[in-house]
Amino acid sequence: MSRAGPGGGAPPVVSAWSAVSCFGIGRSAFTAAMAGGARPPAVAAAPCAPRPDDAVYPVPSFDPRAVLGRKGTRTMDRVSGFAVAAARELLGGTPDASLDAGGGDRTAVVLATAGNPQAMRDFTRASLTAAKPFHVDPAVIPSGVPNCAAGLVAIWNGLTGPNTTINTGRAAALNAVGHARRLLVAGRADRVIVGAFEAHSATRARLDPHRAQPGEPGAPGTGIGEGGAVFLLENAAACGEGPREPLLDVLHVAHRTGAPDDFAAAVRGCVEEALDRSGLHPGQVWAARGSECAGEPGRQERRVLAELFAPEVCDRVRPPGNGDTGSAVAAFQIAAALAVPAPPDAPVAIAVTAVDPGGTAACAVLRRRPQGRA
Amino acid sequence: MTGAAPARVVVTGMGVVSSIALGVTEYLSALRAGRCGAAPVSLFDTSGFAHANGHQVADYDYAARLRRTDPAEWGRAALFAATAARMAVDDAHLSDRALQQRQGLVSIGTTDGGSHELDLLVAQEIAGGHDAMDGRLVRQVPAGGLSVAVARELGLTRVEAMTVATACSAGNHAIGDGLDALRSGEVEYALCGGADALCRRNFTGFYRLGLVAPDRCRPFDAERAGLLTGEGAGVLLLEEREAARARGARIHAEVLGYATNCDAYHQLTPNQAGIRRCMRLALDNARVDPADVDLISAHGTGTRTNDAVECGAIAEVFGGSPPPTVGLKGMLGHTMGAASALAGIASVLAIGHGFIPPTVNHGRTDPECAVDCVPNTAVAADPRVVQNNGFAFAGNNAVVVFGRDRRSGRDAA
Repeated sequence: MSRAGPGGGAPPVVSAWSAVSCFGIGRSAFTAAMAGGARPPAVAAAPCAPRPDDAVYPVPSFDPRAVLGRKGTRTMDRVSGFAVAAARELLGGTPDASLDAGGGDRTAVVLATAGNPQAMRDFTRASLTAAKPFHVDPAVIPSGVPNCAAGLVAIWNGLTGPNTTINTGRAAALNAVGHARRLLVAGRADRVIVGAFEAHSATRARLDPHRAQPGEPGAPGTGIGEGGAVFLLENAAACGEGPREPLLDVLHVAHRTGAPDDFAAAVRGCVEEALDRSGLHPGQVWAARGSECAGEPGRQERRVLAELFAPEVCDRVRPPGNGDTGSAVAAFQIAAALAVPAPPDAPVAIAVTAVDPGGTAACAVLRRRPQGRA
Repeated sequence: MTGAAPARVVVTGMGVVSSIALGVTEYLSALRAGRCGAAPVSLFDTSGFAHANGHQVADYDYAARLRRTDPAEWGRAALFAATAARMAVDDAHLSDRALQQRQGLVSIGTTDGGSHELDLLVAQEIAGGHDAMDGRLVRQVPAGGLSVAVARELGLTRVEAMTVATACSAGNHAIGDGLDALRSGEVEYALCGGADALCRRNFTGFYRLGLVAPDRCRPFDAERAGLLTGEGAGVLLLEEREAARARGARIHAEVLGYATNCDAYHQLTPNQAGIRRCMRLALDNARVDPADVDLISAHGTGTRTNDAVECGAIAEVFGGSPPPTVGLKGMLGHTMGAASALAGIASVLAIGHGFIPPTVNHGRTDPECAVDCVPNTAVAADPRVVQNNGFAFAGNNAVVVFGRDRRSGRDAA
């Protein structure tokens, strides 16, 4: 397990993380819920659920003004609020002066999100129904574009390095991790704040053409979730010299684009490629965590993972069970892999897969480090 | 970086969908002629707006341009992206099969993804409630469909379908992502660029901000009054230089370098320091000095603020006599995610064909924009290094530097 990263260097490492989820704001709320095995509190028949039988897993009582203060939050949308709150814990919990002062131009932000479809819909609706088509609220224009959240994370933290937003659906968080890795390999940044966020809204739910139908098996994918997770990804050498402890190596991220009705080949292809490029075979994988996609794509993903890995490997990192969180699905899977207790002795390999019903699949192979410096 | 110098990356194919041309040959003619694609927008109902010119793509037969794609299944921006990608692969004289066997990246930048379709759905919802929303249109909204459409049109499966959503600089972000993936050896080819379709929401937003010009977009002009929204797609096929030469490919230009950064300053207002820094980083990445740059393809939106801030940053980097600096949005409109991809293709054509495309609709240069913008008429020139700027709301700057390939050059192009 000592394969070099792309470009010949050691693989980049995750050295800090945070999550905003239906379990609460922050890493510890997520970790505690995952350790306790509690089912998250779903809100059935929520006022904004498009159908009476849709379960929603909202981030409880999240208001950007209450969480982040009144300054700069008057028009902040929910996705941006999640991202800024998570980034605050990520950076606040990272004892490294280079992040606080002077390191902003070497710190990149890479976020996956579909943005704010409710604001987009409301804006068009106002244009179509108001007395004049331009009687619309200009304050919501910035959040009508998905790059709003990444831009606000940069503004709030003085981060002038590369800043990318990725909008590819349920595999987006793995596109983001792969892109972050490319930025490090290319020397464009020393560290990347990489994550994925989605906010629940009635419009987002209505616009999900692939949402599970009522009664669909595979319960975790049936409801609608929100929130996300964010990770500090950095070069192993930089992390090794600093005060942060490497938690997870990102060995490889592989991608496939599937034929319209064949997700299995796409999932299998990217898992096998990611393992091969990591110098591993399936028997060496300690945990495999699929994305619990609703419907046929999810069935095919589960089937491939069951063919490749033993049952206990597929069960070791349990799904967060916080509904379909869109772009953030795979970020929550990685967070779940970080929430399980670290192995006591040797590092372990974890495969994270995600499929999007639009036709993409991705697999990240990660290596969880033992507790303490190994 | 560790180890050997990174691989060199070249452009071997290009495809264009725009208001002034369909296809790269027609695009070259249009750029040379200084054609302006502005006209009243007909794609959506513009009644009630005092003015509503835009740069709309004329209807074309999708089915005739596409081989695997069913036009009924995809949104307007995705069809533009797939068309431009098909053109780029044809331009590169590559078979689909040759690409299918290689590891690749499709990276398409966009501002709005399937927002044109979202507008149609909102109108359906107003007319008939949620149940009236067409499920086929719903499937066309996600922006991820833009890069998937490209992959599907070409039958690619060993490919990362990446849709970059950094708004108006996304085309350059996509090219830069392809450059990095090829330099590190992660992929063997990259289809990169951007695509967007006109939509009511986007137009209304710029209109409400007072940024839409009444008739024409006039970059750097003392009388400039804003941008015109546009649509289209530009896709470039990038390959590692030695591999391209080994297969006897025609090399249009080399991608010398790229940089991206963030102003971290304001959501809507551009920041001169951030833009200046991004240009310097791009030139460093390309290993060229400012004095080596023969032409700047500016972001040049034609708004009061952008053009003054951009020219101020150019003056800081290039001193008192910057190279000719053109604003192609006078011809193309602001095509959002496609903008820096289409401008990048224009940059490559300028290198390959020995000319500078003009800044059209130009009357008198604003003293605040102290650049030679090559007004109205293309000029013969010999640009070897061209810098292509792209900036966006949220402070997302991205700059790509193209250069003449020293062996192929313009004679071969």
